[in-house]
Amino acid sequence: MRTQRIDPSGIRPQNRRPLPPGCPVPPNPAPLRPADCLAVIPARDEAATVADVVAGVRASLGCEVLVVDDASRDDTSARARAAGASSLRLPLGLGAWGASQAGIRYAHRHGFAGVVTLDADGQHLPDTLPALFSAQAATGSNVVIGTCTGRLSRAKRLAWQYLRVLTGLRIADFTSGLRLYDGCAIAALAGPEASLLDYQDVGVLMLLSKRGLRIEEAPVRMMPRRTGHSRVFASWPVVAKYMLHTTVLCLAQIDAGRGHERRRAA
Amino acid sequence: MTWQITSAVLGVALAATILFLVRRDHLHGPYAVWWLGVATATLVLGLFPSTVAWLGRATGIGYAPVLPIIIGLSLVLIRMLKLDVDRSKQERRLRRLTQKLAILEQEIERLGGRTAVESDASEDD
Repeated sequence: MRTQRIDPSGIRPQNRRPLPPGCPVPPNPAPLRPADCLAVIPARDEAATVADVVAGVRASLGCEVLVVDDASRDDTSARARAAGASSLRLPLGLGAWGASQAGIRYAHRHGFAGVVTLDADGQHLPDTLPALFSAQAATGSNVVIGTCTGRLSRAKRLAWQYLRVLTGLRIADFTSGLRLYDGCAIAALAGPEASLLDYQDVGVLMLLSKRGLRIEEAPVRMMPRRTGHSRVFASWPVVAKYMLHTTVLCLAQIDAGRGHERRRAA
Repeated sequence: MTWQITSAVLGVALAATILFLVRRDHLHGPYAVWWLGVATATLVLGLFPSTVAWLGRATGIGYAPVLPIIIGLSLVLIRMLKLDVDRSKQERRLRRLTQKLAILEQEIERLGGRTAVESDASEDD
């Protein structure tokens, strides 16, 4: 496969300087335009659905789409490229967050204004993405999480209640992979501090909150998963391990979420 | 007399093994320093077991033989802790390298360089 040769002086025409990791947070972040953003889709063995998701995002936002292939054994990358996405192929499986971070680092390196992430399995509907952008513009936030509270099971509700108390973050759905990050959030998440996190939920949100970034939620419709299953809520031992890891992480970072609340109150 | 011989043999054997590994370059940089220290300690304690009794008197511990055990165990714990810290650091680097590799590969391809996508897949594992 040959790609056409483009000007080597700048990989993207509108190359902006990436923001430094400790970038000052403007009080009211500017509204993001979908065309300046990069859609990052972490995917592992999602060849069945990835092409539809890529096509849907391109139709809905008209932005560049990057599929991060988390060491798939099927032809996820090839199908994503055929559908018009760029793709990163991770040589080692890094998990959902490791793959998303690769996409975020790519966006940081190439100066995209924002990153929108969604799952490759089709549970996040591309036509709900503009709602994240309008929520970002309306609230002036750095991060918008798309949540579908009606979809949460009783066990999940209980777990999230526990995490809300533990972290001090007021978030309805911690694990939703449907998110919009602005430039400051990208700069914060591209750094090495975020590389040892195993899940994209609590650790990532606490890191963002610690940097003083505003996190908002937008209610969206979601589909039940067509293929695959939740990586977190797979079986009881996995849930137990997840809750234990998350609890330790929260206790180590106990000040993170609460500092955020204090700043907002002030 | 025999326990002194046993102690000397154990101490000398351990120290010799460590020295051999360090000389053969199987232990790298800072690890070599640590293990040379351990080798010296086992050599001294093995050849002169009376140092234990002297240490016991000096520190006021009534039952001196427990002293090397306590010191040894604490050192092992510290060492294990250090090992996990190092492993976390390596894991972070490995993840970032993996991500960077994928990004650079994509950029090479975009710039029109040839990356052998087909042969790549067969090289994995």
